[in-house]
Amino acid sequence: MQAQTRSSRFSIASAIFDVLDPIPFGFFVAALIFDILYANTYTILWVKAAAWLISIGLVFAIIPQLINLGRTWFGKARVRTRNLALNFWLNVVAIIAALLNAFVHSRDAYATMPAGVWLSILTVLAMVVGRVLLASDTVTYKEYSHGQA
Amino acid sequence: MDKLERGWPLTLGIAAAVSLLLSACGEKAQVNISQQIGANPVMPKPQDFLVPPMQVPEGVGWKGDARPQVIAGLQIEKIASGLKHPRSLLTLPNGDVLVVEANGPGEEAVTTPKQVIAGKVKNNSGKGGKGGNRVTLLRRKPGAGGEWEQHVYIENLHSPFGIQLVGDTLYVANTGNIMKYRYVPGETKMSDPGAELGDLPSTVNHHWTKAMVASPDGRHLYVGSGSNSNITENGLEVEYRRAAVLQVDATNGASRVYASGIRNPTGLQFEPQSGKLWAIANERDEIGADLVPDYLTSVQEKGFYGWPYSYWGQHVDRRVQPQRPDLVAKAIKPDYALGAHVAALGLWFYTGNMLPQYKGGAFVAEHGSWDRTPLSGYQVVYVPFANGMPNGPAQPVVTGFHSADEKQLFGAPVGLAQDAEGALLIADDVGNVVWRVTKR
Repeated sequence: MQAQTRSSRFSIASAIFDVLDPIPFGFFVAALIFDILYANTYTILWVKAAAWLISIGLVFAIIPQLINLGRTWFGKARVRTRNLALNFWLNVVAIIAALLNAFVHSRDAYATMPAGVWLSILTVLAMVVGRVLLASDTVTYKEYSHGQA
Repeated sequence: MDKLERGWPLTLGIAAAVSLLLSACGEKAQVNISQQIGANPVMPKPQDFLVPPMQVPEGVGWKGDARPQVIAGLQIEKIASGLKHPRSLLTLPNGDVLVVEANGPGEEAVTTPKQVIAGKVKNNSGKGGKGGNRVTLLRRKPGAGGEWEQHVYIENLHSPFGIQLVGDTLYVANTGNIMKYRYVPGETKMSDPGAELGDLPSTVNHHWTKAMVASPDGRHLYVGSGSNSNITENGLEVEYRRAAVLQVDATNGASRVYASGIRNPTGLQFEPQSGKLWAIANERDEIGADLVPDYLTSVQEKGFYGWPYSYWGQHVDRRVQPQRPDLVAKAIKPDYALGAHVAALGLWFYTGNMLPQYKGGAFVAEHGSWDRTPLSGYQVVYVPFANGMPNGPAQPVVTGFHSADEKQLFGAPVGLAQDAEGALLIADDVGNVVWRVTKR
């Protein structure tokens, strides 16, 4: 949907982006849930699972974030909205938080807490806000194009 | 919006800040190691790290005639080389020396991303070399100097470490059981196929060594069973009969926990004057280059020494949840700190006559650890004893196991023993050598 609003032609980059971009987001949300479970139950399974989710999520984030970077700063200038740029920076914040969190999650047992759960919250929150901002852009475009038609 | 075009320098700036933050985390030791030797070590505050202090010299072995340095009045010679990760030594009554060659079974599952990375880093030191899973017999060539004869004595063991002779029974502690063999003096290959005396804790095997010593009366074997984690990161379920000294009945193999809370007890020995059981222990990692000092301690029956809940008495480790204030309250403070991350693995109370200045005291082999910069350990020290207790600072006796710039590792001392003449024997599992220290 977003790709359509920015460019009328089909883009391989957009397809790759749409396939890969939800993966790290979902992984980081799962990591947050598992961190909360560990902090409350002290059951090691959850924090080890969260460590894998964050690390693998970061790997999956590389390609879509590069596409995002290219699209935000090197795409057609007329469609770069403030929210698109804000979304980019929120993703930067999320990735840095997740990277730090991967290191925090390399600590043993409860040394991961409470920093781990705060960084997970920050990661997810930044990504959520970025997505909400983009969605509000999409709504605007839709109404605009609807009005045109 | 155009302001946001300045994104590139900002991105680079953030990347630089992150890398600075990460590199700043691997902190150097602040405490002089001499302040952490003895009964009252300096204990700095624990720290959490993004990347723990790490320094792993590259294992290169000994080139040509290179050898460790010994202090004045001593000399050192190589009596065996080309071994496969020699760990423990036992001198037999006829003067033959048994060398246990082994390394970890490598059975610990990879359950965290960290293990993938850390395993690669640590193996660079040569400490990860494949073990022989065997016992080699060394016999002095009559009337000749140089290296001793080597005979493969027992093969197909499973990560053996402890070895003891009681009467004509030879006990070998694999990582998962104790085997017993009928010992026939003079044999160069064990003729008895052996039988299992009893089982030992062998799941996960994060710490795999099973150090073993027989009581002076030969009725019991005491076995060191190391923890299955650094600090409970594998769950408490796998710590059953771990971080403990087990007492095994030498006749039927039945065992019980004799003392607990000792993270990785190795080098079990009986102190000759008091007749008490002593152990050296490797303490926990990753709360600082200066924490926690490894130690040498007498082992009290039913004593609890803190792991995992606390260290050096009542210093609580917050990484362990839920906490157990009841156990922390009764944690015994060890007798003698050896310094942080020295990784003591060998203990020998010297009783010989060749080196009378060391009689009655203890030699400790410090294998060295990955978790400290600058390096600590990688030497054999002497701890004087009086009236059955340590009495004075530890003195380095054999050093020079790593290059002066700490980049290369030639060897690392593990098991200690004393040969028939009273020379000190040192197993070196990075150089794959057995060293013999004598009077000059």
